[in-house]
Amino acid sequence: MKEKQKQNQNQNQSLFKSIISLITYKKTKIPPSFTLTESYEESGQEQDNSEQSGSDQGEKEKDEQNSSSKSRRRATKKPLSPSALKSSRVDSDAVKKDIDSNKKILEQQFHLPINKDLIIREFSIGNKQRGFIAYIDGMADKGIINDFILRPLFDEIDDESSSDQQLNSLEDIILTNDTKNLRKVTTTVTEILKGNTALYVDGLDYFITCETIGYNTRGVEAPKTEGIVKGPQEGFSENLRTNISLIRRIVRNKDLITEFHEIGEKSNTTCAVVYLNGVVNPAVVQEVQRRLKNIKTDFLVSSGMLEQLIEDNPYSIVPTILSTERPDRTASHLVEGRVAIIVDGSPFAMIVPVSMHALMHSPEDAALKWQYATSIRFIRFVAVLAASMLPALYIALTTFHREMIPTDLLIAIAKAKENVPFPTLVEILLMELGFELIREAGLRVPGIVGNTLGIIGALILGEAAVSANIVSPILIIIVAITGLSNFAIPNYNLAFGVRLTRFYFIAAGALLGFYGISLALVAYVLMLVNLKSFGVPFISIISPRTKGSRDIIIKWPIWMQEYRPDYLNSPDRRRQPKISRQWAEQDSSDT
Amino acid sequence: MIKEGRFGFMEAFSIMAIVLVTKIFYGSPMAIIKYLGTAAWYGTLISCVGALIFFTLLYLLMKRFPQQDLFQIFETVTGKLIGKSLILIFAVFLLYKAGINITEFTAVLKVYSMPFTPPSMIILPFLIVVAAMAYVGLEGIVRTAHIFFYLVFGSLILILLLAIPSYDFNYLQPVLGYGLAKTIETGIIRTAAYDEIVFLAIIIRSLQGLQVFRKVGYLTLILGGLTFSVCLICILAAFQYTVGGEHLSGMYQLSRVIYFTRFFQRIESIFLFVWVISSVITVAFIFYISLNAYSRVFNISNHRPLILPFTFLTFMFAFIPNNFAQIMEIHLRVLREFSSVIFIFIPVMVLLLALIRGKKEVKTSGKA
Repeated sequence: MKEKQKQNQNQNQSLFKSIISLITYKKTKIPPSFTLTESYEESGQEQDNSEQSGSDQGEKEKDEQNSSSKSRRRATKKPLSPSALKSSRVDSDAVKKDIDSNKKILEQQFHLPINKDLIIREFSIGNKQRGFIAYIDGMADKGIINDFILRPLFDEIDDESSSDQQLNSLEDIILTNDTKNLRKVTTTVTEILKGNTALYVDGLDYFITCETIGYNTRGVEAPKTEGIVKGPQEGFSENLRTNISLIRRIVRNKDLITEFHEIGEKSNTTCAVVYLNGVVNPAVVQEVQRRLKNIKTDFLVSSGMLEQLIEDNPYSIVPTILSTERPDRTASHLVEGRVAIIVDGSPFAMIVPVSMHALMHSPEDAALKWQYATSIRFIRFVAVLAASMLPALYIALTTFHREMIPTDLLIAIAKAKENVPFPTLVEILLMELGFELIREAGLRVPGIVGNTLGIIGALILGEAAVSANIVSPILIIIVAITGLSNFAIPNYNLAFGVRLTRFYFIAAGALLGFYGISLALVAYVLMLVNLKSFGVPFISIISPRTKGSRDIIIKWPIWMQEYRPDYLNSPDRRRQPKISRQWAEQDSSDT
Repeated sequence: MIKEGRFGFMEAFSIMAIVLVTKIFYGSPMAIIKYLGTAAWYGTLISCVGALIFFTLLYLLMKRFPQQDLFQIFETVTGKLIGKSLILIFAVFLLYKAGINITEFTAVLKVYSMPFTPPSMIILPFLIVVAAMAYVGLEGIVRTAHIFFYLVFGSLILILLLAIPSYDFNYLQPVLGYGLAKTIETGIIRTAAYDEIVFLAIIIRSLQGLQVFRKVGYLTLILGGLTFSVCLICILAAFQYTVGGEHLSGMYQLSRVIYFTRFFQRIESIFLFVWVISSVITVAFIFYISLNAYSRVFNISNHRPLILPFTFLTFMFAFIPNNFAQIMEIHLRVLREFSSVIFIFIPVMVLLLALIRGKKEVKTSGKA
């Protein structure tokens, strides 16, 4: 009985505590925020370095660096973090000195014989020393393995003069363009997973990995979502190396740096951080590195997933990272002083930091004359306003502020609405829902049928809805303009955000008319001014006010764009001299 | 100490300009035209000159303590107890001001745009946005103000320009109104209409130094004075002083008379956006400063837990007036005429005390 009473008392106490905790104030844990300061002093670098040394990613990199320089120096020992300790598995991770143990470790790692993907091919060198190569079938190029690893190896074995020296010169025998000496099993496994081939000869305490990556990938094709009329027609593919080469082909600069990070405990996805040294603010690069190194996840397959893991404001409806599938656009952002993050297997580059106006630029703007580009940009801004607010304004106008509508138009609207039994809000919601359905269905239906379905569906649905007196014809015009405006937004993620924002404004307009929309607008702008993209205020240039780069809303002539955007705080602010068209200053006879 | 962030000249200028000018949208023109008749347009300029003199005194006070804001100066000069009491008076009065501003806004909105909507349905969403802005903090409020600054002033200019066909400048006669003495007297009393400039001294630590403080202060007062004066000229020229003194919102009425062909008329609802946006920003700013003042008095490091109770209190303050007559005759007179006792008299007294007691900041090196 006493125990029961005690239990009841405890239960009551815990209930009381939980109720009290609901009404008492708890100080919210504010995560440390990163702000890009005016000076690009490398504050906090030591901290970053210390964090880096603790992570297992850092260990991997050290191992690779160690081996690629062919020096046998061990990395300086530093205390490992618990996660690093766990993953390194100190004893089992080191490469053993006998072939059987190493082979067994690899077999265990890849779950042989159940797993049929790993091929282990054994051989012996001059009947003295045994060795093996290991690679994943389908990921490695067998031609390279046969011609540039096995053939030179056996040729050397046939050569009687060869002796123990072979052990020290294996790398000279193998003819692949890149080799690494890896002393850890985990890094060796990662290399094999990438498509490289691991070579082991009995007696060595390291694996030699040879670059044999050779799987089928999609070729370079035109971009799917960022097509333009004037300008390059190349888009990124799923191959990371191809993507980086596409950028390098445009920015042929020795200062263009590519760093690799492995993300995903299970997928081991390679992510590249690309930036132009000397142009980018080092603090931004450090911040990107810090975020990437501190991601603990099991699986990463696309840039969209990584975007969600590294963005500043996960709850924001507006994207703060620019995704592009165009190498030329990526290159132009790199030269402006931004950082590109590319995920292996994803045909998109993520650009950081960006501001609102960068999302409103189209890749075609750069190729167009400034007058054309500026006018198109204005249309895009109008499109954003129409896509987010037009239905809400229509509801507010017809429900709360009818006096604003000119009499003739008001009569026309009233006539059209005469037979419609629903209120305007229901009409709008029905049509918006129908439009979203058509759009989603159009994406799922394969090939050309999808496009046809979109057009036919919209036409038939609209016509049928009007004939059935479910919606008024004016509303069809409103929804069509809204839909078209949404398609005019150049950024896919931003267009999504605007689609959702539309419903927010519809609710505000339906509740309180223009008054509600005004309040909703203030709240929305409040959200925007508080957004940051890698330490840079999202609507910088407007607020906080910074010097413009003459390529914000109005695109000035290219020869007047002398500076990089101020908010990026680039160490090299000037992009061209004051007079870039120096030929204009010369006398035409002076040649 | 609450982290308020830092902002530049344009942001500070925008918020102060909006806070000063917002009252032009409501009962202020009506009141001043009632008191001064056709002399209202320069009566407000006299008030502006009075405010400029007050700001000079405020600047002298801030110059003596370049590293401190107004509330810190109160404590330094008058001691902790009196200083904190003065800050508490500021906090309570600001909350009252926020509440009455909302009431005034609601009354005008009900009369002109939403006659069937209950006041609580107007006030509640308004306060939710105000609370959200206060939650984000000063930097967010100021940046939002900067974004809408161009919209607010652009629309104001547009209204004045589009109403040109309705102007008859003969309505500005007799120029001396009800007499020069009455104009000067009322002009001086109504210096309180510009006393919001004192807020700049409260947020001075977020500005980039005393020079920016001085520049922003003088420029916003001049802009505010000119805006008021031009708007009053337009209202008088459009409606004449007898009718102009009857309109609840002179500017809203002015936007109603805009008529360019049968298609382009009755566009006053478009300007509702400007009304609402400038009112929300103004109330949010006052509300935030009230929160800040209260937090200073009781050494509360985070103002966010106070937002909900303060929102509730503002809601209560907003319901104090029973009708619009009360708002106009009692509460707006308190805010636009007698608030100088708090916002002008106290800082000036503190300056005098500092001069008498020879109080001055010892460490004057740094940003000034």
